[in-house]
Formats: sequence, structure tokens, C-alpha cells
Amino acid sequence: MNTRSLSFRLVTWYAGVLTLVFVVLGSLTLIFLRHYLESAVLDTQARRARQIADTLIASVDRTGDDVMTRQVEELYSPVVNDRFIRITTASGSVLYVSGAPHDGTFVPADIPTLSAAPFSREGVFERKVELPSGSVLIGAVASGHYVVEVGVSTARTEETLRQVLLLLAVGLPVGVLIAVSGGFVLVRRALNPVNQIAHKAEDISQHNLSERLPVVHSGDELEHLSVSLNNMIARLEDAIQTSKQFVADASHELRTPLTVLRGELETLAQDALLKAHTRESLGSLLEEVDRLAEVVESLLALSKLDAGEAITERVRFDLGELVSTTAEQMNLLAEDKGIGVECDAEPAVFVEGDRSRMKQVVVNLLDNAIKYTPNGGNVVLRIAREGDTAVLEVVDNGIGIPTEALPHMFKRFFRVDDSRSREQGGAGLGLSIVKSICAAQGAEVDVTSRPGGGSCFRVRQPLARGV
Amino acid sequence: MRILIVEDEKKLCELIGRALKAERFAVDEATDGHQGWALADSYEYDLIILDLMLPGMGGAEILRRIRLKNQQVPILILTARDATEEKVQNFEAGADDYLTKPFAFAELVIRVKALLRRGPVTRASVLRVGDLEVDRLSQHVKRAGKKIELTPKEYALLEYLASNPGRVFSRTMIIEHVWDQSFEGLTNIVDVYVRHLRSKVDDPFPTKLIRTVRGVGYGLGESTDA
Repeated sequence: MNTRSLSFRLVTWYAGVLTLVFVVLGSLTLIFLRHYLESAVLDTQARRARQIADTLIASVDRTGDDVMTRQVEELYSPVVNDRFIRITTASGSVLYVSGAPHDGTFVPADIPTLSAAPFSREGVFERKVELPSGSVLIGAVASGHYVVEVGVSTARTEETLRQVLLLLAVGLPVGVLIAVSGGFVLVRRALNPVNQIAHKAEDISQHNLSERLPVVHSGDELEHLSVSLNNMIARLEDAIQTSKQFVADASHELRTPLTVLRGELETLAQDALLKAHTRESLGSLLEEVDRLAEVVESLLALSKLDAGEAITERVRFDLGELVSTTAEQMNLLAEDKGIGVECDAEPAVFVEGDRSRMKQVVVNLLDNAIKYTPNGGNVVLRIAREGDTAVLEVVDNGIGIPTEALPHMFKRFFRVDDSRSREQGGAGLGLSIVKSICAAQGAEVDVTSRPGGGSCFRVRQPLARGV
Repeated sequence: MRILIVEDEKKLCELIGRALKAERFAVDEATDGHQGWALADSYEYDLIILDLMLPGMGGAEILRRIRLKNQQVPILILTARDATEEKVQNFEAGADDYLTKPFAFAELVIRVKALLRRGPVTRASVLRVGDLEVDRLSQHVKRAGKKIELTPKEYALLEYLASNPGRVFSRTMIIEHVWDQSFEGLTNIVDVYVRHLRSKVDDPFPTKLIRTVRGVGYGLGESTDA
């Protein structure tokens, strides 16, 4: 289960809150209930003590102590009723104390006698005596020279409280469980359209922008969201359509005059009767036309890559094999400068993509490496697997790139410094094309360099799946 | 030989016309689709050069109509767009060749001649330029009877130059034929290979065969242009 999903987090949160509330309420209930039960029992004991005092003590002058204690025994039979009854004189001597109760919940002899007890104005004093054998609740009444104490064990109230506790301990988890599972189902059902929208959104790419997300007619935020997303896709579709149209129009409007320009100049340049300096000027013009044409081609290629139109095939091919054959075709270019090109390829590094576009990447990177490596230098092409990624490295030991220029290397029309690249030709678009091609087929390209110590361009592309 | 050019860009149309007239072809020019179709429909042409983006009737439509009527005439398509998909569609619709603007005029003329010939001349197994012999079957090169060793790429370059002696080939044309489109823009590679080729084919001999025309490109043997 995804512990970061909205449904999981919502349900966990509510379950936590619910449990906390239940636990707090349960504890408070138990505390108040205990207090209420004990004070009720104490009142009963005090009432009973008052009764004994009123009926028996009032007549003790006539009957004598012995008769009184016998009467208490007869009337209240404390042992059978599990009660504690004790009658003491004001001086502290015990006149009567009941025997051990049947249920054995306390030992009467253990209960300390009252001396100067803080009786209330009505002559009542209530207390709870904690004994090792069990607690006893005692209500005492002072009447004349006598103090009458009536008590009962807390066993019965404790039993009631235990039952309430048991009820809470069983009821609480069951209640929380029902709430959580019900909540989980509800949240899942409510969020289901979100999953559908997400799935569909992942399926929509540049190539099927005319498709739309499913709209949930729920009238809630989700409907709003799906409609907004669809509007956004429509705008995207529009923007890409505009950009495609632009590429088509610009292609036509730029290429046609270039063709005329070049045609006229070519015809002129091949006139045998031309003077030498005119021929030179025409040659120079033609070179500029070529450069212009090259920039136009590069820009159109970039626009097409941006519009997602340029990647036309997706095939499986061996990156190492592509790189080594390309390097072979460019060998003379390196040889001419006395640069050694070494190709260090792991066998069978298969990737998936547009083979000729990938070749263009290799050509551009290798051409750059050769251009910016002085005579007698070295260029190493390394192709290796790293986990499930194919890595192509083009490493040279040439002039390197200044640190401050590194972040800009793939920007359009960027030159490290004007003098060095202009004389090498190129408009500063080669690396942007490399980057756009890589982006278009799910690869990444980056560069590290030490000025004076050479550069390393690294292309990382996921390996082809299967085999 | 009579050629029809349908191209809405007036200057380009005239320019192509002039280049072809210089090659002694009879040329008719049309600057919109309807006019183009009317001409193609009324005369027998040996070749039709057709731009795709035309006012009136589109190039693709003209192509379709011509093919309905006449299966034979070779058709060369000019376009400013280079979507491969479109290219395939037009070949399926009956185009014989395809040129993307901006093209070198030398290329246009070579393609036109190739389309018109379609015959034995270019398929000769031994190409001769001066005292240079290029044997296409064995891929052996001899000059003045002496064998010259070339690498495969040098051979491909020389054979391409020798296929149209006297004509000047642009670097872009050479890249496209000898390498492939991935090398587009890497024109300095051509210069390096030509230099190497020269050192083997020209340097040991008194007459130089490989010609450089600045800004245009390279050629083999004396210029055939007027």
C-alpha cells in the first residue's frame, strides 16, 4: 500500500484523531464514574450510620451498651451483609465492631479508629480506607458520646468500573475499525476519478494531443479539475499546432530566397571570364550564404525538435556499434590534426530511439571534441552500462571550458568566446541540437570540464527493455 | 528535350529555366498551379519539375492528375519542407525524385540529367576523366596506367566526383552522397578528404584534375559550364 497516498493519509489521520478522542473520553468517564459511585456509596453508609445513631444511641441510656450492641447485631447482621459497623466512645474505646464479612473483602480489625476526626457541622465524616486486603468506604456519624461507623468494601464499585472499562476496551477498537474501513472505502471511491485522470494524462503525449481526459460529472472539485486540465491540453494542442505551422511557413519563406540567392551566385561564380577579385568576392558571398543556410537549417531543426516532429523512428540499436562506425567515418578529421580517437565500447549496449538522430548527436560531440583539442591530443569515446542506463562519454584533453561558461553550454547561439568558435565555423547551435535531440528521445546530456584539462560530455539514455 | 517547371517563386523559376537552357533543354515555365496543370495537360514533356507549395492548385494535386494521365514522364519534386513522411507519400504518388530547398543548382542539373538518361551512360563500369580511370566494379583507380590505393571513403568521394566530370559539387551534396544526413553541417570533413584525395590523385602528376571553386565546391576535370 502506498503510505503517501491521499486516501491512506486521510484515513490514518482520522483513525488517530478518533482513537485519541475515544481514549480521552473513556478515561474521563471512568474517573467521573468512580467518583460518583464512591460518593453515592459513602452517602448511603453515612445515612445508615445516622439511622443507627438515631434509633439505638438515643435509647442507650435506658438499655445499656450491651443491649445496644446486641440490637445492632440483630438488626443489621453486618457479617452476613458484608458490612462493617463499629461503635466507639468519644474517648476512643471500642464498644462494638462487626466480624469479618462473608466475602472476606476486608479485615475489620485493620481499620484504624477515628480519634479527633474532622466531622462536619452535621456530625458526619466520610472516608475511604485503603487496606492491603481491599479498600473500604466508611461513613461515620458522631452522636453524643458515641461515634458510629458504617462501611462497605469497594469491591462492588470496582467490579462495576471494570465492566465499564471492558465495554470501552472492546467497543473502542471496534468503533474505530468500522469508522476507518468505512472512511477508506468512501475516500477511495471519491478519489477513484483522480486515478483515472492521472492514467489518461500520462497516456497523452505530443502525438495524441487531440485526446481529452475523462470528465467526472460529479459537480465537485474533481469535475472542475478535469475540465481545467482539458482546457490546458487544448491550449497546448493549439500552441504546438501554431509552432508546427510556423516551422512549415518559416521553412518555405527562408529556404526559397536562399535557393535563389545561391543559384544566382553559383551561376555567376562559374563564369570563366570573371576577374580574379570578383571571383573571390563571389566565393566569399557564397560562403556566407552557406553559413546562413546552415543557421536556418539548424534553427528549423530545433523548432521541429521542440514541436516533437523530428523523431520519426523508434528502433533498437547497439549504441557502441553506432558510435564506433561514426568515429570511423570521421577518422580522417582527427588524423588530420594528429588526434588519436579511441573507442572503448562495452559490447551490446542496446538503446531505443531514432538512430540517425542519435548519430547526429555523436557526430556533433565528436566534431566539437576534435575542434577544441589541439594537434596531437586525444579523444576517448566510452560506452558503458550503468544500472539500467546506457552512458556515452566523449572525453578530450583539449582546451577545456571555463567554469563560468559550463551552465550555458547547451544554450542557443552561446559561444564560450567569440574568437575561438567563429573561426572554427558554426553558429553556436550544435550543442543545442544535441540537447534537443536527447530531450526528444528521453536521454540526458551534461558536461564537465577543467579549463586547460579537457572536457567530458556525457549522454545518458535508458537501456532498451528486454533481452 | 522539353522540360516543364512549375514553381511559384518567379525568380527561382527563371533561374532554374536559365540553368536548364544552358544545358540546351527547351524549358516551359509556369508560376501557379492552374497554369502548370494546363501546360502539363496539353504538351508532351520529357520531364516535369514541380514545386509542392503552389497557389491555385497544389503540387500534390498536379502530381496526382499527371500520373492519372501519363505514367511515363519523370517528375522531380521541389519542396521547402523536409518531413520524411511527406516524402514517402509523394514517392508513392509517383514522384521520381525529390529535392529540398535550398539546393545547389549543380545538384538540380545532375538529377535532371540522371532522370532523363536513366540509361546506360551513368552505369558504365569504368569512368574516365583525362588519364584517370575509376573502375566501379573492382573499385580500382588508375592514373596514367598506375594504380592508386584509396581508402573506401576516398574512393566513394572520387567516384562521386567522377560520375559527372566537369560539374562542381557542393559540400552539402558530397556529404549527402558520400556520408549521410547525420553529418549535415560538418562540411569541413569534405575539405579534409579532398585534401587527402588530392595528395594521392593529383600531387604525383603534372596536370591537376580536382578543382576547387570557392564557395561552391569541388569538381573533377575541366569545367563543362559555359
